[in-house]
Amino acid sequence: MSAQAAENIYLPKVAILDRVVDDIAEVRTFYWHFEDPAEQATFRQFRPGQFAQVSLFGIGEFPASLPPSPTETETFFTIRQVGSCTAALHRLKPHDKFAVRGPYGNGFPMEEYYGMDLVFVAGGIGLIPLRSCVVYALQHRDKYQRVQIFYGAKTPNELMYLPDLRDWEKSGAIECHLTVDRAADGWSGNVGVVDSLFKRPEGKIPVENAIAFVCGPPIMFRFVIKDLLAMGFPERNIVSTLERYMKCGVGKCGHCCIGVAYVCVDGPVFTYEQIKRLGEDI
Amino acid sequence: MKARILDRSDVLKIVDLLREQEYEVLAPFRGRGRDGYFDAVTDENRDRAQIHEANPYYPPKRFVLPHIEHLFKIRGSNGDLRIEPEYQEPRRAIFGIRSCDVAGIYHLDRFYLGGQFRDVYYEKRRKHLFLVNVVCTQPDSEIGDDCFCICADTGPAAREHFDLQLMDLGDEYMAVAGSPAGEAMFAHSIFRRGSPAHIEKRRAILAQIRKQFKTQTSWFPAAVRYVSQGSILEQTWEEIGKRCLECGGCTYVCPACTCFTVSDRQTGPDEFERVRIWDSCALGGFTRMAGGHNPRKAVHDRRNRRFFRKLAHYFIQRELSMACVGCGRCVAVCHCDVGMPSVVEMIRRATAKMDKLEPMEIS
Repeated sequence: MSAQAAENIYLPKVAILDRVVDDIAEVRTFYWHFEDPAEQATFRQFRPGQFAQVSLFGIGEFPASLPPSPTETETFFTIRQVGSCTAALHRLKPHDKFAVRGPYGNGFPMEEYYGMDLVFVAGGIGLIPLRSCVVYALQHRDKYQRVQIFYGAKTPNELMYLPDLRDWEKSGAIECHLTVDRAADGWSGNVGVVDSLFKRPEGKIPVENAIAFVCGPPIMFRFVIKDLLAMGFPERNIVSTLERYMKCGVGKCGHCCIGVAYVCVDGPVFTYEQIKRLGEDI
Repeated sequence: MKARILDRSDVLKIVDLLREQEYEVLAPFRGRGRDGYFDAVTDENRDRAQIHEANPYYPPKRFVLPHIEHLFKIRGSNGDLRIEPEYQEPRRAIFGIRSCDVAGIYHLDRFYLGGQFRDVYYEKRRKHLFLVNVVCTQPDSEIGDDCFCICADTGPAAREHFDLQLMDLGDEYMAVAGSPAGEAMFAHSIFRRGSPAHIEKRRAILAQIRKQFKTQTSWFPAAVRYVSQGSILEQTWEEIGKRCLECGGCTYVCPACTCFTVSDRQTGPDEFERVRIWDSCALGGFTRMAGGHNPRKAVHDRRNRRFFRKLAHYFIQRELSMACVGCGRCVAVCHCDVGMPSVVEMIRRATAKMDKLEPMEIS
């Protein structure tokens, strides 16, 4: 590859789809690798919380979070089919080609949280971008104190990464608290919104030395933040990852700006303290 | 900075000199209506190139940031996929670029070439661009009713970021070199040394023309402060939003607007092209995500965004210049008077409402 092309921030690299796994309705996980092994090695330097731009030629490009932890060997995206690009990705079959560029964004500073309790609060597909941090924490389990997950979805069928959640719970390394808005046959767990888990005795959250990762739909975000603040979480110890319509991923196209911040280069990870000061509602 | 004098009749020879140096020269021409436009100089139209012409609606920004930039071609067949970038690296000169637009190009330079990532398409188009700035000195033709470079501190005479600057002194022109390439032009015989009297004359003319500007936006600094602090009332943005027709015209003619969208299109069997196209924060779809959620759906939120991006301290510090250069084009194209000076004025008037909200205890 010429040096000239290497500098081109808009140029995606050819990727090959390995296999596709169904998660929940309209959500699938796509395992893939770059055609060029050198590209694969560079890309694999990503940090939890970063994202990539995924290209479907003739359709367009979209930003996708990176659910794998850098400590895992496989590279994959977990994508819900919502628009034309994601629909095109869902149509791909193993060995089909598409293209990817990245990784982009700041990511979660997982090293800064060494020695702390980790509290993951997610709703629906909000668990996808947090998965990277959860797995990273498992792989570096001795670096962190207590690790808790509070996760909710509308129905049991809409819980993401359920096999992973069961494994994590079984390992004893992570406390998993699940809830659904509406129970279905066979569901013996909690029924209610995510923040209802905080009110249960086993859902007690240590605040003094903890980081809360929050990701989910806007309404859940608002209520969870309110509860966390009421529990005494400092605003700087609540972190989230934001999403916006994006065209470039590199701070040029202007679509993802929230107030002073470009979500693509200044984020997507922000503390609640930063979110409040962006100068625009999220 | 080095300066030289040249005869009035020799000014267009600068265009000839640049063309001899293999530059494609773009200069202002007069359209059939009141509108001027930039076009490439040819042997045929050379004598019709204008020196004193109202600044065209359509800024010269497009010579570094075309409406549609071809990013790359994707060719694929038999399972093989090749991504081939396309670059344009023209040798171009803009003759007659106004000081406001020089500031616009500088703003684009900071934006596209600064920060964490450099934009290679912009970089290549900018690389060989030679700017011949003409100072606006004619109140009748050049200094429009809507011009406010004087408030944006970009004109009437740019202080930097041009290669050559020309100013009409009456019978003669003064040329100022702003770069080594501009200074190299002085080797040609049309340029001659001047006297301190020429410099005096330039200063006197500048002092005179500064008084000719009609649009007042003396509240710019306060507007910048209010916008940065977020202390402008929601009600004020709503009033501004109510006026906006969401046509996107202001962003289209703005020399400092940078936003673009990206689109793919099929250009042949097994061949696609990815292009980037100017986009506008005035349009409803600008922030609409797949699935329909739109965080900036309300018109006034989108107007707020435009003026926040243009005026907030944060961006001024980052780009080292305000994203408004005072060209007045947004004023000229807006159907509903939501150009920059009017918005600054609406912010000024709203301070009376802010007074009412001030908590005060007197007894």
